[in-house]
Amino acid sequence: MNTQPYAEGGRGPIGSSNPSSASSLLVADCGTVFTKVSLFGLVEGQYRLMARGEAPTTIAPPYEDITKGIIQAINVIEFITGRNFISNGRILSPEQPNGDGVDLFISTISAGGPLRLVVLGAVDATLEEFARQAVSGLYAEINSLPSPSFIATSTPSIPVPVGAGSMSPSTGSTGGPWTQERVALEWERQIERMRELQPHAALIVGMANGPSGPTPLQEACQLLVSATKELNEQYGASVSAGAAVHDVASHQIAVLYAGAPQYIEAVRGMLQGTADVTRVESLVSQAQIGPTSIAAGGLYERDVMQHIPGYPSLRAWSSSAPAATTTSLSSLVRFLAQHYTMNVTAVDIGGATTTLMLAGEGGEFIPMVNSGIGIGSSVGAVLKEVGIQRVARWLPFDVTEDELRQYVLNHMLHPHVVPTSQRELQFSQAFAREALILTVEAAKRNNFECIDADLILATGGILAHAPKLGQAALILLDALQPRGVTSLVLDRTMLISQLGAVATVAPVAAVQVNENDAVTHRLGTCVIPFGEIPKGELAVSVGIEYTNGRQLMVDVTGGSIEVVPLRTNEQALLSLFPAPGVDVGLGPGERARAAEEIDGGLIGLIIDARGRPLELPTDEKERQARLLQWMQAIGA
Amino acid sequence: MTYLLGWSVIPQILVRRERWPGGYKTKGVPLVFPGQDVLPDQPVIRLEKAEAIEAVATIPRLSLPAVMDVPATANYDLGNTQAKVPQRGGETLPAGLRGRVVDITRRGGVVIESNAAVLQGVLGTGNQVAGVLTMWQVSDAGEGQLAVPPGAILVVPGPLNFMTLRQAIISGVVGVIASSISSRDLEGFLRTDLVELIDCIDVDVAQVHLPSMTILLTEGLGTTAMPARTINLLRRYQGSIALLSGATSIRQGIFPELVISLPEAEVQQHWQPVRPDPTLAIGAQVRICSGSYEGAIGMVDYLYLHQQVFLSGVRARAARLRLEDGSLVTVPLMLVERIS
Repeated sequence: MNTQPYAEGGRGPIGSSNPSSASSLLVADCGTVFTKVSLFGLVEGQYRLMARGEAPTTIAPPYEDITKGIIQAINVIEFITGRNFISNGRILSPEQPNGDGVDLFISTISAGGPLRLVVLGAVDATLEEFARQAVSGLYAEINSLPSPSFIATSTPSIPVPVGAGSMSPSTGSTGGPWTQERVALEWERQIERMRELQPHAALIVGMANGPSGPTPLQEACQLLVSATKELNEQYGASVSAGAAVHDVASHQIAVLYAGAPQYIEAVRGMLQGTADVTRVESLVSQAQIGPTSIAAGGLYERDVMQHIPGYPSLRAWSSSAPAATTTSLSSLVRFLAQHYTMNVTAVDIGGATTTLMLAGEGGEFIPMVNSGIGIGSSVGAVLKEVGIQRVARWLPFDVTEDELRQYVLNHMLHPHVVPTSQRELQFSQAFAREALILTVEAAKRNNFECIDADLILATGGILAHAPKLGQAALILLDALQPRGVTSLVLDRTMLISQLGAVATVAPVAAVQVNENDAVTHRLGTCVIPFGEIPKGELAVSVGIEYTNGRQLMVDVTGGSIEVVPLRTNEQALLSLFPAPGVDVGLGPGERARAAEEIDGGLIGLIIDARGRPLELPTDEKERQARLLQWMQAIGA
Repeated sequence: MTYLLGWSVIPQILVRRERWPGGYKTKGVPLVFPGQDVLPDQPVIRLEKAEAIEAVATIPRLSLPAVMDVPATANYDLGNTQAKVPQRGGETLPAGLRGRVVDITRRGGVVIESNAAVLQGVLGTGNQVAGVLTMWQVSDAGEGQLAVPPGAILVVPGPLNFMTLRQAIISGVVGVIASSISSRDLEGFLRTDLVELIDCIDVDVAQVHLPSMTILLTEGLGTTAMPARTINLLRRYQGSIALLSGATSIRQGIFPELVISLPEAEVQQHWQPVRPDPTLAIGAQVRICSGSYEGAIGMVDYLYLHQQVFLSGVRARAARLRLEDGSLVTVPLMLVERIS
């Protein structure tokens, strides 16, 4: 982690002090539904989590000020600690001799919604994939609208293959030759789609070397000009007190131009000043994904984060510019992978976004921020994507479609509520599984190669607040379906998403809080055999040799989960004897003996022999019985 | 969602609302100018439509005679707001609010500042309409017949069902305010998927194919009754012209609301704007928004210092509430919305 005190010229809080000598920090994470604030302080020379407060995020009416929710969460900390941190609506800083105030205030934000980005121009499947990869680490929703002439020349008489999710079935899929009328129809559909999407930004791609030449670039500009004109007419600033229309600030769609370099000036000219054009390297290969990603990240900060109500006040409080929560999490995950030389998978299931990050010991990094897929206000999107049956398959009881839909609608309207009954809890955990599965699928669609994780680090309200640790473990095993040997760690403090941002200002505090408080809920080591697992027959024999010399041999049958006692701070040597055809990471039937002792955890040693991919029984009663069996085995 | 932690009823507040009938192909010609005082039944916009839009065209509303084009540089007499409006056929929109025009938007919407009472709904559908608040009464014609004048905003002080909605739209009311409805009945009436509808980005696009009647549900889905406080507010302003908007978009943070301008005498005598205070304190009146006590109204009796464990096993900060029937219940703070 780099030390960048007061990065980007940020103003510190009132009477800001030297970050390196900070003895207390307030760290706020403003999520879509909740704002969490944590107080870090020095205890016997080590930074520790002292107290946490949580309150609803307040960017919606009637408050429309993100700082109000932060203050409410800080009030909780004031109540717990008896110290005062707010003075005249601002953070009191530095820390006073009587304990009031803090030395540093740091914030991360995931509220405010995603950056809505459209990809325009000559968008073929490859360029669409590059664009998706470029924004995969950001809060962004991407839709492709290839120009009509590009579609006509590249897919003369077959359905349009690109941006299938964003295509109306009534146009691209009609087939037949691309007549003038059909192109006109497609043009009209795209204008309609722009109206529906209300994009913040556009990415124009294409090298003008196809049969349609530079026409797709021209059409992209025409589409943007039309869409901007319409957006301004509909939602633009007002024309009050006789001010002429041209004198009134106009809504603009920011443009990232990653197309043929020779046409940049022509594009600027065609856009007629209706869009702010930023040129990035032409997107033609994997090598340009990085620059495009950085530029899109800049747009997110400028066009989304900085438009959050109350942002200027928050910025003024902060020791460094508020960071996107996903950016902060990615810093931490990469740090952990390098520091501990292991493959780390991080999972964050939130109300509006589900995040999956994979960092390899060799420096590989795969971020997958699935914006619009979550278990709060975005739970409806999960239902829409997967349908009732896929959610209901995780429930060990009968449920009607009406009941699940009612749950979804109520949860969308009241995303802050907590489940008070077992039934509601099971619903929310079923949706959490599907949100995570969708995110894994999205990562695979982006052609990301999954890395077998040595450590799975999980956070987010649904996991952190799970009443039983086994419930969190089972959600992760069901949705991620890891293989081989891995460890599960649960961040119940929900701090890991903020520690990357803390590290930019106070790296020592970030490392110490991470080790002392954030990743202390080690659930246990998991052994997950895969391959040809015989159902109901021996899949793997597990030999455990505890440090006190005690030995244990456990036979695990296919289709079951077993938990072997191995507590936190206990270690054991592990020997695995798989059945023929069963793989524990060294090849089918190959025995394995760990060279190093494995660590225990709050659950113990988990052996998941249900097989990969995990298949649930098709018979309802059998499926429910099996789910209950697995829940009981893991203590869920 | 009502406002987080409640305040669904704000009896006195200064609001600014754009008078706009909805529809992205609608153009409005303002008939008023910034600084002008307007009355609720005063025409403020003449509609011009680039293309016929079903949802807009079929809404029966307080249509008033249209006017000739009003030159932007016309000299207006601030003291005589209606005198210079020439008569001509066509559709105009009344202000719906009493107050002062503070802005004109590009699309021709008129922004009015008004001293008003605001009722925030949990869920709704439909464009902004103005109409006379009319309490539901069973007519002499018999059970199930609605006795409401066309163009009214009908208040049903309880749960709705599919049949009531059907009768309301046949009767020509422009809007319905009720406590709740089952999701099946509402989806059946709207003929749309509610999940998709409230998850939309562009509310104008989403409303286009809906029936031309605006709906506001104070409590949301289910069979929850309307709180007495809400009924009292609506009864009090029965017969007044109000502005009702049903559009709901979770993504855009848009929720349905009813805005009723306060009578001038009331403003002059008792104007005391209420600022919503989200703090949950002992004695605060609250509503439970989820779980087995959903819809219940009560008073905060005690705030627990420590997290409490609930049937789900979830630990959460909690409050003990004394409900209207005198019973005491412990509920998570996150389920509690302050309503006054």
